[in-house]
Amino acid sequence: MKRITALATAVVLVGSLAACGGKAGTGATGGGLPKVGVTIYKFDDNFMSFVRRAIETSAKDRAELILNDSQNDQSKQNEQVEMMISKGVKALAINLVDPQAAPAIISKAQAANLPVVFFNKEPDAAVLQSYDKTWYVGTASAEAGVIQGNIVADAWKANPNFDRNGDGKLQYVLLKGEPGHPDAEARTKFAVDTIREAGIDVEELELQTGMWDTVKGKELMDAWIAKHGDKIEFVLANNDGMALGAVQSLKANGYFTNDKYLPVVGVDAIPDALDQIKNGLMLGTVLNDAKNQGTAATDLAINAALGKDPLEGTAWKLDENKAVRVPYVAITKDNLAVAEEAYK
Amino acid sequence: MLNSITNKARGINKKSALTWCMNNAIFLVLFLLLFIIIVISPDFLSVNNFRNILTQASTRIIIALGVGALIITQGTDLSAGRQVGVAAVVSASLLQAPTYAYRMYPDLPVLPIFVPILLVIIITAVFGFINGFVVAKLNVTPFIATLGSMIIIYGINSIYYDRPPYGAQPIGGLDARYMNFAQGSFNIGGFMLPYLVIYATVVTVFIWILWNKTRLGKNIFAVGGNPEAAVVSGVSLVKTILIVYTLASALYGFAGALEAARVGSATNNTGNMYELDAIAACVVGGVSFSGGIGSVGGVVTGVLIFQVINYGLAFIGVNPYLQYIIKGLIIIAAVAVDTRKYIKRK
Repeated sequence: MKRITALATAVVLVGSLAACGGKAGTGATGGGLPKVGVTIYKFDDNFMSFVRRAIETSAKDRAELILNDSQNDQSKQNEQVEMMISKGVKALAINLVDPQAAPAIISKAQAANLPVVFFNKEPDAAVLQSYDKTWYVGTASAEAGVIQGNIVADAWKANPNFDRNGDGKLQYVLLKGEPGHPDAEARTKFAVDTIREAGIDVEELELQTGMWDTVKGKELMDAWIAKHGDKIEFVLANNDGMALGAVQSLKANGYFTNDKYLPVVGVDAIPDALDQIKNGLMLGTVLNDAKNQGTAATDLAINAALGKDPLEGTAWKLDENKAVRVPYVAITKDNLAVAEEAYK
Repeated sequence: MLNSITNKARGINKKSALTWCMNNAIFLVLFLLLFIIIVISPDFLSVNNFRNILTQASTRIIIALGVGALIITQGTDLSAGRQVGVAAVVSASLLQAPTYAYRMYPDLPVLPIFVPILLVIIITAVFGFINGFVVAKLNVTPFIATLGSMIIIYGINSIYYDRPPYGAQPIGGLDARYMNFAQGSFNIGGFMLPYLVIYATVVTVFIWILWNKTRLGKNIFAVGGNPEAAVVSGVSLVKTILIVYTLASALYGFAGALEAARVGSATNNTGNMYELDAIAACVVGGVSFSGGIGSVGGVVTGVLIFQVINYGLAFIGVNPYLQYIIKGLIIIAAVAVDTRKYIKRK
């Protein structure tokens, strides 16, 4: 009896919580609008939260969205896709948890004859070619590295005093994202390559993974300052999170006061990083354009849901891999407003 | 004369030397690690490096001392990391610099820094009280009780964190006073002593007194060592467990407030898995999972061992994947040695 009471209480509790959550979960509702099923790999990823907002904004009055949080779990996402198909969506917009999982999603969509727009996490080109009703919206991973490299190269050439030991070589430390992550590998490689291609001699003092994490970025930087001291001339970070950690470490070690300065660059243009750039504690970052990625994914998905050409009535262009590439933007003190605009 | 002393020393025999090594294995491991790192990279031997290690270990020591007491009562706390996260997010959100453009509360007046810090300590203490209540009154095993609360607390924190106007953004732009509270240091004749190390020392001393010199401390060990006997001798199981969980959580709250200011920002993932680091540090430091055994010195040394691994191995540039393997091996080896020690005693 006791157990039944407990069970009943639990059911009521869960039911009422679910009722509270229901509204937030499904987003806009509307009569004759096409239903579009969306999954986000992880709701609390800071970048994806802006993409999500862009999707909600641009789908307003144009589509009925079913939004899902895949909680960084691919098997959960697959179940969500099945659920949305059975709910009768007309198109899927999928932010994969694991880029390698695209074939499973495509086979589900193909069985229901539904179009799929993948966004932000890129499936293999061959997989995209395997089904005619699938497209990709994202960036070219290499580009963030190239742009970061350009920020570094330009600043190096414009500020001879960055070469602290005057040996003509740029001594850098690099905070890498998760090893094996396509963005981490591409950003690391292309940033350094671009600096070299600009005709600058480089020397790598340290390169370690900070796993995208601010705490790890700070702690690695602590160790590197203790080890190399003034020999470090540039800090490159694969994302702003780690760059901010490095800035905290530098501050704690007496930098940014009395002309003691070390340039730090990141990627993502998160608000905290913009603030540091404004205050001169970070040199620059690379804006990953959440607004346009979200808008493009929604545009393609709605067109596909209505059976139209995915690009109809939009300014987007597909490349040879059936992908829309939203460009990255270099952000420094001179054009902060561009990035600030993205958060409005 | 000298001869007789050496003979005497020999008389203590090999067995007791081995026992001594076993009993102090944890310190030997620490020194061995330091020794290896210094051999590979002699410039590791600098005041700055050791200060960095101590500073980075500070918040972790505070968390581990909270978890340590729970483990002594045969408990555990999987929600520790998430509580650190809540504390970090809430205190950061209330202590953003008024000049920062992306504040969570644009109209919030400037608060004295102790107000949010006290607030988060109270918030986490309430979580701890609930954990203790579920364990002591509802008789849910601590692993399950705190597994549940870990998930719930993460949910609560995420709802608080992922809100307009800026959504799931790291909460940064912290007030300079708050940052200084965690990042500042005393200048003692040119030697910089970080505040964090002082906070950790104060907490360590406080917990040492609590464990060794108070009735509560005796009760904690009694409850962990033999609950039935403790009850028979008049110790209130429920009261002891409630206090221990509440106190542990208060420590997580303080650590979380420090963690946000130390790092300069907080997210809903701040503190993720810190409980496992803390539990690992405790068991490596000789706190027994079967309860009743543990010391403050052991816990602190356990944390330091992991921090030496984190910092030292990064300093000499060891492959990060290899670092995981070393950490895992140390945990297993430490507990294996410890268990042998207790089997002998029994």
